[in-house]
Amino acid sequence: MDYPRSRVPRWTIDDPDRVVTMYGELGNKLVQHAKRTQALAQLPPYQTEIVRAVTREVRDLDRDVARLLDPFEGSFNPSADPATACSLLVDHLCMRRNKRCLMAYHRVRTEKLEELCWTGVDVLEQQQPSDGSEDRGVSQSAGGHSSLSPEEEEYFRLYSDMLAAYKGQWTDVDLTGTLEPPKDLFIDVRVLKDAGEIQTEYGVINLTKNSQLYVRQGDVERLIAQGFLERLS
Amino acid sequence: MSYYDIDSILTDAQKLPCTFELEVPGLGILEGNPGDDIKAGTRIDLPLWLGEMLSIGARLGTSRLVTLDMPDALAERVMNALKADPRTVDLRALAPHFYTLSERILEIFEEEEMVDVLINTFKKRAAEISDHAHNPRGAVGDGVDFLRGLDETERQLFRAAHDRAKQVRIWAGEAKKK
Amino acid sequence: MAFPLPRGIVASEIAFLAEMETVTVVPRQRLEGLELLGGPIEPLVPPRRASLPLWLALLLKRQRRANIIPPSWLHPESLSLILEVESQHQDYKNAFSPPPPLPGQPSVRDQGLEPTARPQYTLDGNRYYAAPPFLPQNTAQTTVSSGEPPALPFHWIEVGNMLLDSASDDLMDPGQIRRLLKDLREVRMAKMRSGVDVLDDAAMGGGGVALTGVGAMELGDERGFLSGVVDGLRKIGASKEQARREQLAEQRANGGYNGTQDEEEDYMEF
Repeated sequence: MDYPRSRVPRWTIDDPDRVVTMYGELGNKLVQHAKRTQALAQLPPYQTEIVRAVTREVRDLDRDVARLLDPFEGSFNPSADPATACSLLVDHLCMRRNKRCLMAYHRVRTEKLEELCWTGVDVLEQQQPSDGSEDRGVSQSAGGHSSLSPEEEEYFRLYSDMLAAYKGQWTDVDLTGTLEPPKDLFIDVRVLKDAGEIQTEYGVINLTKNSQLYVRQGDVERLIAQGFLERLS
Repeated sequence: MSYYDIDSILTDAQKLPCTFELEVPGLGILEGNPGDDIKAGTRIDLPLWLGEMLSIGARLGTSRLVTLDMPDALAERVMNALKADPRTVDLRALAPHFYTLSERILEIFEEEEMVDVLINTFKKRAAEISDHAHNPRGAVGDGVDFLRGLDETERQLFRAAHDRAKQVRIWAGEAKKK
Repeated sequence: MAFPLPRGIVASEIAFLAEMETVTVVPRQRLEGLELLGGPIEPLVPPRRASLPLWLALLLKRQRRANIIPPSWLHPESLSLILEVESQHQDYKNAFSPPPPLPGQPSVRDQGLEPTARPQYTLDGNRYYAAPPFLPQNTAQTTVSSGEPPALPFHWIEVGNMLLDSASDDLMDPGQIRRLLKDLREVRMAKMRSGVDVLDDAAMGGGGVALTGVGAMELGDERGFLSGVVDGLRKIGASKEQARREQLAEQRANGGYNGTQDEEEDYMEF
């Protein structure tokens, strides 16, 4: 029997006991990342390395399939050669599994991005190193290192644009406003940061730091969410 | 069981014992020995996504490639412990996705009694989960251990009950402030 | 995924809807009538009683322009009675105390009588029977016959809580009412949870927990948990259910008439 023996050596050796990464293990790692991401408020860094390794694994598997089938010159009969058929099936299932892991990982992240868009968090702004003039967006941006892949940044930008265009059709309703039903039409607020003048149905309100106001809740919702005002109970 | 469902993908990653029915050259990587062959009769723990499909290889016009066994998480020993007292078993240690794994296994093996044991287990533990979820002071004493041993399905159940109860308290509490 | 709330209705939304309940007030000031989306509000003339939506009543109460007359169930005596039924009465060991009767429905006392609901008509002339939340269950002058036992309305937790917070001086012994409401809530919550034991029958077709008389907030609180339990039980029992169905199909193939009858019975259980 003339079986090609040497599979492409693409396993990694983690310790002296030669622990080998089985096909699909890396994909699994990605999915575990995705699982953690679902529970987080922020988007953790994109796992470029693992994504690359998984796609490499798929390419290796594909090469292996080609190598296994090569001697048969297009006339492979599974029942005549069950062992090769088994190897082919394993290769195929591993590729299919890796694809599912990759797809699910990216989908969890895009869903998170969409969620951030709706809640009004500007991920892209957070990524930029702060220029010091304003005290917002100081969170985790120190190095200016993006936790998004370039494709994700593009996705976020386009989705934001689309959402803005969609919202723009209605001037009376803020689609991304709070979903909490109001208890009172008017509320007491304290101004935390100067925000200048705002125009309301009842005239112009001047928001100077530390002043307290009794205003219509709908007029200031956005400012509370952005941290300019604080609601007093 | 959607294609993109993270929990379903993780359930698929849980392993169960598979015995190879034929010799497969070059497939040793499954055993941790890349380049080697797999001998007929070799027993390896394979993830569900691989083992299940290999076990129904009859479609290829051959006999099946591997035979499956019950995973340890659903062994007789575990079933007996669950029959004795469902509340003291650490399901998470057995399998993080214990119930979804069971569902998949029960599709493969016909185990009527196991269904009954699991249903009883789920009910008894659900009642306990609800008690803990409605306790505003959070888990104390034995409760901490119990909650740590919840599998993923149960955790989601706890979260659902806990979040709802919290919402009601927030609503009632805020109303008091005015 | 952009929608951040859990499935179903949340506590603050339930409370918001409860503010549509009609309550009785005694105005302390004259106020002109209002044309609201929910219908016109009659002019307020002290000391004539008036019916207002709860949200407006609370607003006027906070501005000291009206007093709220609490509904008859929100009274220490009524609540004690209900609590007694709920915790002592044999018939209600596993059930919730009965909700207020619908209009025309025979009360608990005269069981066996046919319901004699009087229909109402929409502006287009369509006939309908009013049902909660479009029945006044929280007004002071509900036409309750004197023999009628007190009952908790659909929005009892919400209305009770809001009145305790904003109008406690209009209530009889608010401290006692607060305690009784809390006790009632706990007794009923325990009943709801003991229902988990029969839920697998519900998941397998047949049986279940009767939720007659359960309030909106109670439902909202338990919705996530109970539907999660039923879902879990259904999935674990799926293989058994499958086997049962196959058996039924087989019986039908072999037994003809008997088989179809089985299926009908099966259907009836739901």
